[in-house]
Amino acid sequence: MKHEIQFIINGHARSLTVESQQTLLEVLREDLGLTSVKHGCSTGECGACSVLLDGEVVNSCMVLAVEAANTEILTAEGLATDEGLHPLQKSFTDHHGVQCGYCASGMLISAKALLNRTSRPHEEEIREALVGNLCRCGAYADIIKSIQVASRARR
Amino acid sequence: MISRKPHVIGKPFPLIEAQKKLTGVTCYAGDEKIVPDMLHARILFSERPSARFWLSNVDAVRNHKGVAALLTGQDLATRMGQTILDREMLAVEQVYFAGQPLAIIAAETPEIAEEALALIQVTYEDLPAVLDIEQAIAPGSPQVHPDFYDYPGADALHADPAHNIAHSLTFSRGDVEQGFAAADVILERSYTAAHLQHAPMETHGGVAQRQPDGSVTMWMHVQAPFLQRKIIAKALHMDPAKVRIITGCVGGSFGGKVFVSVEGLLAAIALQTKGRPVRLLLTREEEFKGVFTAPAMRAHVKMGATKDGRLTAIQASYDWDVGASVDAALFHLQSVALAGTGPYAIPNADIRTSAIYTNLLPAAPLRGLGVSQVHWAIEQHIDELAEILNLNPITLRQWNLVKGGDMLFPSFIMHANGLQSCGLQVIDAIHWHPDASSHHDDTPEPDTPKKRIGQGMANGWSPIILSEECGSSISIHFDKENLCNIIVDGVDIGQGLYAFVTQLASFELNIPVEWITVEPTDTANFAPDWEATYHNLLWSTGHALLKATAKMKRQILAYVSEVWEEPISNLDIVDGEVISYASRRRYPLLELLEQNAENENNAPVFSVTSVYRPPNTDGSIESLLQSFASTAYAAEVQVDEKTGGVTILQLAAAADVGHALNPESVRAQIKGGMIQSVSFTLLEEMIFENGIPQSHNFRDYPIATTADMPQQLHPIVVEVPQQSGPYGARDLSHHVQVGAAPAIANAIYRAVGVRIRDLPITAQRIYDALQAKRAEEA
Ligand code: FES
Ligand code: FES
Repeated sequence: MKHEIQFIINGHARSLTVESQQTLLEVLREDLGLTSVKHGCSTGECGACSVLLDGEVVNSCMVLAVEAANTEILTAEGLATDEGLHPLQKSFTDHHGVQCGYCASGMLISAKALLNRTSRPHEEEIREALVGNLCRCGAYADIIKSIQVASRARR
Repeated sequence: MISRKPHVIGKPFPLIEAQKKLTGVTCYAGDEKIVPDMLHARILFSERPSARFWLSNVDAVRNHKGVAALLTGQDLATRMGQTILDREMLAVEQVYFAGQPLAIIAAETPEIAEEALALIQVTYEDLPAVLDIEQAIAPGSPQVHPDFYDYPGADALHADPAHNIAHSLTFSRGDVEQGFAAADVILERSYTAAHLQHAPMETHGGVAQRQPDGSVTMWMHVQAPFLQRKIIAKALHMDPAKVRIITGCVGGSFGGKVFVSVEGLLAAIALQTKGRPVRLLLTREEEFKGVFTAPAMRAHVKMGATKDGRLTAIQASYDWDVGASVDAALFHLQSVALAGTGPYAIPNADIRTSAIYTNLLPAAPLRGLGVSQVHWAIEQHIDELAEILNLNPITLRQWNLVKGGDMLFPSFIMHANGLQSCGLQVIDAIHWHPDASSHHDDTPEPDTPKKRIGQGMANGWSPIILSEECGSSISIHFDKENLCNIIVDGVDIGQGLYAFVTQLASFELNIPVEWITVEPTDTANFAPDWEATYHNLLWSTGHALLKATAKMKRQILAYVSEVWEEPISNLDIVDGEVISYASRRRYPLLELLEQNAENENNAPVFSVTSVYRPPNTDGSIESLLQSFASTAYAAEVQVDEKTGGVTILQLAAAADVGHALNPESVRAQIKGGMIQSVSFTLLEEMIFENGIPQSHNFRDYPIATTADMPQQLHPIVVEVPQQSGPYGARDLSHHVQVGAAPAIANAIYRAVGVRIRDLPITAQRIYDALQAKRAEEA
């Protein structure tokens, strides 16, 4: 069954037609071309598909597109502004928070949500916030450092 | 940030690709060519490990609405491989492992593909299955490949197919009998290691399309596109030039995207769809069950030593369960044979390693190349010997480590190396406590099980092998439009290849880094089969690039020398300008290109291609050996005596990289390797039940998260220059994995007095061992 839905994606209002069974992940990637949102498992275990939905981190593979109607969504594409990269993006670049990079956008999204809640998170809090984001390259230590540096830069 | 100045080797340099990866610009396998008329492929996988089978309803499915093409083993009976063609692309009459592809379909939507495939009925008639090494080599066991010698390439292997031995390598020196006779103590032990998964975050996939000339183009994110081109072309009886593979960044490989698993099928189905592109993307479950595992090991080690701590002899066997195909695991065996003594100068050695066929998912090399499992055995063995001899385990190691100048075999004298230094630096880093076993007790309540702390360490070495396949080709074009454009044959899988190439070219050509772009690999660019890949990436790319940049510089200077009518020896490039040391003239390169562009219709004015060819070998494993890379690990762990749970308080790893060209990047790679090693050591095991994979997702097969990280990580870069390496550097891919598991096991032993000889070290295994120990003591 088809549904007409609206949401705000990376600051822009969009309306589109989706099928009932389509996941938000599918719609973001295939219909809207927002390929920073990655497919890693489709079962809510890896965090590669993380997006912010009304400010909360969700695994977009576990959300139906219709459920996202009338929400505000942020993906990694929406982090940079005309002024340049988001402090998190800059800090991940400078501090080796990326290896193969497949987990990177999910990591950025979880980090963004954390920094929205806590401006100066401790290492422990960062570890906790990232527990649902798998990184097979094992780049966690540098990802954590990147987030710490970014949180300091924001002050 | 990136400097405007030409780059200096050995200074920080951010990864070039990072920004693209962080803004969603980088294209991975799943992002390729999302175009409207694209078809979607799906594979039907076998559910039995060993059976005859029949497919029914095939024609109905072929004519099903929305199905564009379907291939079964009846349509495509072909085998694939690099050395031995022991894997069918699609099973024809019999399945050899659960997860073997039976059919591939291409349809208008992923849903139709799935629906249609489900309509195919598979009838199995089970045949006896061989499910582990013991069973495989037992007398009278069924043969996994009764027709072994009919497979092309079988003659090249040292096989005993009647006992399911696909290939064996041996290596010996001295006389072990005499060595054991001279020993005061002889210790014999067995060790095992489980099947593992590469589990990259990006699953296998890509897009393929038939071209009007009958060739096939594949946009596929694999680690070794030139090897894949060769294997796919051979299997499909095509001219390699008609298989074109274009790669981009790879979302993790760890060895799992080197050899062909499902990629050949994608090419085959795309040849059937009249030029419509076909996309294949494996689900996570398919990634687990239908691609590769890393082989499980069973090892037996016997070592002799004198009372005063001289190792006199070693006899070791390392058997690997390679599943139903050995082809991808052959390289693994070479590394194991060469590393088999561990990093010790033991005068008498007998090493044997064998690949054993079973009816399980085929194995492919995993980061660490089996060398980490070799050390799992050797480095626990040394610790135990030290205890029997009443010697400090570090002293015993330091006395016996291979030293520069030692003759390991007639054709190989050990070079200067970082073995001693790595070992000493890791124990320093964790504040090694000579008798860490006897104290540290942080839960003071009496009579309750306690959390105990222990420290352990391990040395390690890893052979660097250079075979004929380890060549590399590089082109550089320098023009007005793209400035310095570099085409490499290696693939960026997260190790920072593009940054390395940019850094080196900027340094050698003395031009700003902003002028340089690196193109993703496309097999159309180079004819040879070889490529710079996993173990020889930096080595071969570095050598080819040094040649190419020198050639490019000569080309530019020769041009200016003619314009200026000055001898070339007066000229140089400095900060992006050609200068003359004699006449003091300057010619900015940008101006030079500008003027030439007008004359030559924008064609690249300067263009070079260079290749690096590895030295000739006679095919013996000794002649493939280029050098050894050194490592060491030290761990401090806390073990909960009640549950067997392990917390890693500190983990130190030292790796000798020869010369750290980009030190922060090297440290990042070491830290990544440490976390992955912790994951392999404590968490990971691919489970099979009656030959059927039981690991389907990250719940069944957990990998390390931030919650599993050691509390403190100490990455240590050791630099003993690699003779004849580019700038004295050596590759850092595998050896960073070597030594973690035994260091952790040794630490656990010192904490609670139990030895775990089976990987992974689960809480359950520790708990069981503690129970057994208590029962024995009571
Ligand atoms: S793809 Fe959504 S959690 Fe893995
Ligand atoms: S950088 Fe490769 S998965 Fe995180």
